Amino acid sequence: MKARSKAVGSRLLQLVVLLGTISTTLFLLLRLSGDPAILLAGEGASPETIDAIRADYGFDKSLLQQYLMFLWDIARLDFGKSLVNSQPALGFVLQYLPSTLHLTFLAVFFNSIIAIPAGVWLGAKPTQRRRKILSTVVSVAQGTPAYVIGLLLIQIFSVWLGWLPSIAGTGTWAWVLPTATLSFALAPNLIRVVAASIEDTTRQDYYRTAKANGAAPNVLLIKHSLPNALLSTTSLLGAQFAFLLSGALITEYIFAWPGLGLILVQSITNLDFPTIQATVFVVAYLVFIVNLLMDQVFRLADPRLRRGQL
Amino acid sequence: MSQELKDQVTPITRRKMFKKKNESLLSLRISASILALLFVVAIFQPFFYTVDPAASDLTLRLQSPSLGGALLGTDALGQDVYSRVIAGFRWSLGIGTVGTLLGCFIGITLGVSAAWNRKRLRIVLSRAIDIGISFPYLIIAVTIVTVVGRGFWPLALTLGLVCWPTIARIVYAETLTLREREYVTAARLFGIGSIRSIFTHILPALRPTIQVVAAFTFAELLIAESGLSFLGLGAPLGTPTWGNMLNESRLYMESAPWMMFGPVTAIILTIFAANLLGEGLNAREQSRSTRVSQ
Repeated sequence: MKARSKAVGSRLLQLVVLLGTISTTLFLLLRLSGDPAILLAGEGASPETIDAIRADYGFDKSLLQQYLMFLWDIARLDFGKSLVNSQPALGFVLQYLPSTLHLTFLAVFFNSIIAIPAGVWLGAKPTQRRRKILSTVVSVAQGTPAYVIGLLLIQIFSVWLGWLPSIAGTGTWAWVLPTATLSFALAPNLIRVVAASIEDTTRQDYYRTAKANGAAPNVLLIKHSLPNALLSTTSLLGAQFAFLLSGALITEYIFAWPGLGLILVQSITNLDFPTIQATVFVVAYLVFIVNLLMDQVFRLADPRLRRGQL
Repeated sequence: MSQELKDQVTPITRRKMFKKKNESLLSLRISASILALLFVVAIFQPFFYTVDPAASDLTLRLQSPSLGGALLGTDALGQDVYSRVIAGFRWSLGIGTVGTLLGCFIGITLGVSAAWNRKRLRIVLSRAIDIGISFPYLIIAVTIVTVVGRGFWPLALTLGLVCWPTIARIVYAETLTLREREYVTAARLFGIGSIRSIFTHILPALRPTIQVVAAFTFAELLIAESGLSFLGLGAPLGTPTWGNMLNESRLYMESAPWMMFGPVTAIILTIFAANLLGEGLNAREQSRSTRVSQ
């Protein structure tokens, strides 16, 4: 129990340091890059507007005072109002959270049910010729950016074949292409890691013992290889989950999926700093939660961690 | 590889290794040649143009690819897609190179310092690396780019500044084991100072690891760069980069799908070559270390 609260504490510290660093960087960049009042007012604003904004945001105070005020606001989760629609930025951003989570869960689900069996199949006998073909395909597909896959899928399934909609919210099947895009983007990596882990377990002593005792190949694979292989895969799945919360940025943009990624891109195009900041904070918090959950999954899955032997 | 070490290896495994070694060397050669060729294209790009990539001729807009005219077709402004793809090489490979160099510099500095020091500095730095690695860096890059603006150098430096955590983590782990090697301990006992030991004993031993990581980082930065340009956050609009071209092509998917195929091929080819290079280097390194340990 003590080990667990210590782990949570260290993650919490990580979160605080990360948020502190990001916000300080943003603060400094914003102040260094010129007069933020002019930036906020937009091009061609009258001097009175700029002065009003300067007084309103406290830009006329000293840098240190501004910084402390800024930190205090953030500590109270007050990011200011969105410059586009004057809603409080955090609330505005949170409206988009469910839709990102929806897409993330779909993508992780389909990615797992495609990639884990494929990886197990590949890892069980990696030298067989037809499995080598899969592994070649995987290494070409790995590293193809998600948005390239997305564009190709749209070109094929929406434009040429006309089977699936390419814009979110147009029909019941609108989730298919974004999910497929993200799954295809993540699957090669997962397949490789699962295959490598399975292959790795076959070199372990306990595996050889089981084999020598006459365990059937399927029993060997499912009962002896798989649990250990999946353990090392879990951390990658966690990382992919965290990546999706942000990496869906471009995919959400392509498919106009109303999630955190889309709102981030839009607020950046509009130079809407309160919203940008709120989005980054929400993403950082989500990543923190995912990491925390992953820690717990590891403890459940690996008895050595539970007993504090590792 | 010295003769005695070779003799210690039994014939059967030597034959196996020879085959395996050749396979990894083959992928290494292929990927290195592809990348070298792409860099040649990037550096001497004017020789590869068919027409000026910036020249736009509105009478020739949205022409489909043809052998006599535009090889890969023309875009909505009548610019030649093939020449623009070629022009994109300089931008992408340039940003990838600068970003990787900067990222490696930061990552190696932090990783080695964290592993070499045994006191507070290590705790602070290794925590910093953990934090950096836990957060998706594209988000940070996007936010920084918003403030510092578009263009080659802002983008390259931003990407370099955010991509170091993975490099640092790997360098850190590797240095931790290297530091306990006998020759490093011996050097310490002889009174050789930390700085000198790091430069003469640690960094040369880290080189293979760093090569592998650098190749993968390069591929990753290419993805990040083209992604940012695609979102309209990287390259200034109108610059011939693959991301920009793909973004422009989205409006003409029905009438002019060829606008997309050129840049897509270039991106996939380059990233594939860089990843293959990383894998080849990695395989070569592993075959070396297993041979030595036998």
